[in-house]
Amino acid sequence: MRIVGGGGGILLGVLAPGVVWAGQPLPWQIGLQPAASPVMEDVVALHGYVLIVIIGVACLVMGLLGFVIWRFNARRNPTPATWCHHTLLEIVWTVVPVLILTAIAVPSFRLLYRQDHIPPADLTLKVEGHQWYWSYAYPDLGISFDANMVETDQLQAGEPRLLTADAPVVVPVGQVVRVQLTADDVLHSWAVPALGVRTDTVPGRLNESWFQVKEPGLYYGFCAELCGVRHAYMPIVVRAVPEEAFKAWVQERKVAQNPSPQHGNPPLFEISALDPESDPSLMEDCHRVKGEKPFGPPEANDGCVYFPPPYVLPPAEAPRMMPGG
Amino acid sequence: MSAHAAEQDHRPAGWRRWLLSTNHKDIGTLYLVLSVTAGVVGAAISFLIRAELQQPGMQFLENQEQFYNVLVTAHGVIMVFFVVMPALIGGFGNWFVPLMIGAPDMAFPRLNNISFWLLAAALVLLVASANIDQGPGTGWTVYPPLSTSGHPGAGVDFAILALHLAGASSVLGAINFITTILNMRAPNLTMMRLPLFVWSMLLTSLLLVLAIPILAGALTMLLTDRNFGTTFFNPAGGGDPVFYQHLFWFFGHPEVYIMILPAFGIVSHVVATFSRKPIFGHKGMIYAMMAIAVIGFMVWAHHMFTVGMNVTGRVYFTAATLVIAVPTGVKIFSWIATLWGGSIQLRVPLLWALGFIFLFTVGGVTGVVLANGGLSVALHDSYYVVAHFHYVLSLGAVFAMFAGFYYWIGKMTGRPYPEGLGRLHFWLTFIGVNLTFFPMHFMGLAGMQRRVPDYPDAFAGWNQVASTGAWISVASVLVFLVVLWRIFSARERVAANPWGEGATTLEWTVPSPAPFHTFTHQPVIEASPAPHWLNDGA
Amino acid sequence: MERQKALRRRKILTVAGTVTGIVAMIGVVAGAVPFYRWFCQASGYGGTPKRVPGLVSSGPKAAAPTLTVRFDANIGKDLPWSFTPAQGQTEVRPGESVLAVYIARNMASVPVTGTATFNVTPAKAGPYFNKIACFCFREQTLAPGEEVAMPVTFVVDPAIATDPTTSELTTLTLSYTFFRSPGSDAGS
Repeated sequence: MRIVGGGGGILLGVLAPGVVWAGQPLPWQIGLQPAASPVMEDVVALHGYVLIVIIGVACLVMGLLGFVIWRFNARRNPTPATWCHHTLLEIVWTVVPVLILTAIAVPSFRLLYRQDHIPPADLTLKVEGHQWYWSYAYPDLGISFDANMVETDQLQAGEPRLLTADAPVVVPVGQVVRVQLTADDVLHSWAVPALGVRTDTVPGRLNESWFQVKEPGLYYGFCAELCGVRHAYMPIVVRAVPEEAFKAWVQERKVAQNPSPQHGNPPLFEISALDPESDPSLMEDCHRVKGEKPFGPPEANDGCVYFPPPYVLPPAEAPRMMPGG
Repeated sequence: MSAHAAEQDHRPAGWRRWLLSTNHKDIGTLYLVLSVTAGVVGAAISFLIRAELQQPGMQFLENQEQFYNVLVTAHGVIMVFFVVMPALIGGFGNWFVPLMIGAPDMAFPRLNNISFWLLAAALVLLVASANIDQGPGTGWTVYPPLSTSGHPGAGVDFAILALHLAGASSVLGAINFITTILNMRAPNLTMMRLPLFVWSMLLTSLLLVLAIPILAGALTMLLTDRNFGTTFFNPAGGGDPVFYQHLFWFFGHPEVYIMILPAFGIVSHVVATFSRKPIFGHKGMIYAMMAIAVIGFMVWAHHMFTVGMNVTGRVYFTAATLVIAVPTGVKIFSWIATLWGGSIQLRVPLLWALGFIFLFTVGGVTGVVLANGGLSVALHDSYYVVAHFHYVLSLGAVFAMFAGFYYWIGKMTGRPYPEGLGRLHFWLTFIGVNLTFFPMHFMGLAGMQRRVPDYPDAFAGWNQVASTGAWISVASVLVFLVVLWRIFSARERVAANPWGEGATTLEWTVPSPAPFHTFTHQPVIEASPAPHWLNDGA
Repeated sequence: MERQKALRRRKILTVAGTVTGIVAMIGVVAGAVPFYRWFCQASGYGGTPKRVPGLVSSGPKAAAPTLTVRFDANIGKDLPWSFTPAQGQTEVRPGESVLAVYIARNMASVPVTGTATFNVTPAKAGPYFNKIACFCFREQTLAPGEEVAMPVTFVVDPAIATDPTTSELTTLTLSYTFFRSPGSDAGS
């Protein structure tokens, strides 16, 4: 088990027993957060490589600048040269950068394709951005909740300001988590640096990303797309725990939510029974299944009107409400 | 001087000279005045931002996060449209393009007047927008839905109209430059012989003509989405907010080259003048600028790597973006080769130009990092991006502006600048901005996001350093104001060519200050030998 | 004088050329609106499923491994509906046409009109997700309390298994978001 980030990791380990990985920025940090997921490992590696190249290039330019200022100063070199062409030189400084850039592009493309290669997921996490909080759902586990920032005066000892949310996203260590993201008002972006996730949440569109946390710990993130007044106050906390602890958390959450015993979206009917290919007459006007009309008369009920499910689709059970919908 | 005395007679007096001006030098001066004014405002806003960010926690904008966002927006828009563009294009462009090509004025002097006053009106609208309703807290990118459903007040409408006017001003100015440069050159001043600043203005103008209509279209759609119920960017009506980003950056990426190409031109002149050597690889420099202008239209979506783009798109935009480094490298190396073998006088304009090369190189190599779509999961919308674009633009373009200012101020006013104060101004600015922006790389890598008025406590240290740099920059702005005062109160006068044999372009052949009318008779340029700024041919 | 005239003519030509460029770019923006929609739908870019009304399915490929298709439903902030997939995740054989149903219900006491947008994740699966019929982009007005089933039929292109960038996929998600149609009715 690695303890990363110097003092911060140890500090957090002391404050929160069992938590050894601090996926958060540290004072005077000058580099990327330590990688806690395979994608971020690749990112850190590529960045380290490109950084060496660009430092080399920058030093070369600075060195040349310094040299010409010193060597060709008017005092040292009173008579300027008159040449201003050198074809070979021009070819060299066109071709050499091309080669350098190719040397960057190859691993860069490799990283892009690797990030795009999504392993089979063990768990699906649905993220929805709102002004100005996140709501999360585990659609297959029937869990959903909102996460707001913990205000400064309510922080517990050791909880980082502006990074602490009142409800962490709990995920099992080592499992591939598929993250599906959307928003219901403006653009947001769900970013957890140590996990190498940063994906915009766009209204009317579902985006997908994934991560796999390698070590138990707390990983902090934030909203990374300007979304209005409280843009700075949308922290993300991902808490990675061993699988048993995750299961326990799931149970606890379910009880806390006091839900109906039904979870997930169990099939309401056999799809094949309604195959329009076998029975094209089922499709009418592209958007209604025949036979579901007409409806009965409305029934008043505290200002809202509800219908008993009148349609013929078996079984006669009201569709489950989407949590938070 | 006396030869031109008669020509100076027809100068209108009083306010008419400025309000109704059709003289390229007066209009250039107006642009420069507007730029300096807006620059003071834009800089003041950035100091407010740094003051708020100096320490974690809210300093003086407690519960005014919207105002912070308005400040961020205003800072960006003012610096881009009302400081950098007016100074480099409207100011120096108007002043020196006609002088460098031996033309008596711009092709359409009255159009020139309209261009300027449209921009002045735009600035008024923009400043007003910040005070209307909640103001535009959208960032200069004005992304919907935050700029549509997220901002119900009229502030955003005013900001959009301001951008429309600024865009119209730029396009009219661009038409003027293109027509002037293509048709009014002195005999034997062929295209490939044109000085690099003129080339940079031509390419910038072409970019403006092609890019501004895209912005205008996108902003118009935004305006109708906001006010007339259209749904171009509203998913509820089948639109797509990401579509706006494509349009915006299809304009926005050329826009950054619109800002930097004139800077390239100025730096080329300054470097050549003070090494007393013609610019190295004149043709190569022209082709490099052309390449940058063309590639600038093909890389827009590298600003959008995190919207959920297909991998093929990310690979393409990564590759195309990396390619930009090649022509940019050609320019950097050509400047160094110009200095190489020269007889370098480290005068103030050259200091700024060398500062430009330094800062642009730093910003350029971080651009290579950001070009990698794969790294955007770590860096997109982080302070690393803020550091990058301030190095290339705010520092790059601004350093070139100051290089141009010190290089040409004698020509424009006839008065010398104070060398010592100029040096102090340079060093204070150089230290201040590096102290401000270099730590932002660290903040960004560690994961500090953009456009926040407060940040986790871990970022306190580097933010303190950055703000300290900002206070040094405040001092440098004050020094600059003293420099201005010293220039305008100076009794001495400068010669037509204060720089000696290195200053070879045509503006140095007219007296200082440049008379109201110049080149009423076209200057003679020999077919052979080539003009001095080319040395041996081309 | 002759030179002045020639210069004037050249200036007018230049301006004409420049203005043509400006007009052309305005045309590009105007054209970009339909182009963007067409491009996304035709190429499946950004996870836009292809819409191929009348596509005859090639029949399930026995050899092709099945894919899991998940169904995701969202509703916009101001739409007083419930909207949910009627089925859980479903095993789908590429090439076979599949019917899925979403159920929408108006929870308000007034008729409300909604419009749906949709996409497929991962975005790269968009080109292989062919929709034959759906309720997408069609305004749906629901009476108070009305509940309707909204079917969508689709075929996953068997080529998804042979494209090296998508061959690793085992799960696709079809996502719909219902918004209140702008300006269609008064608030509830």
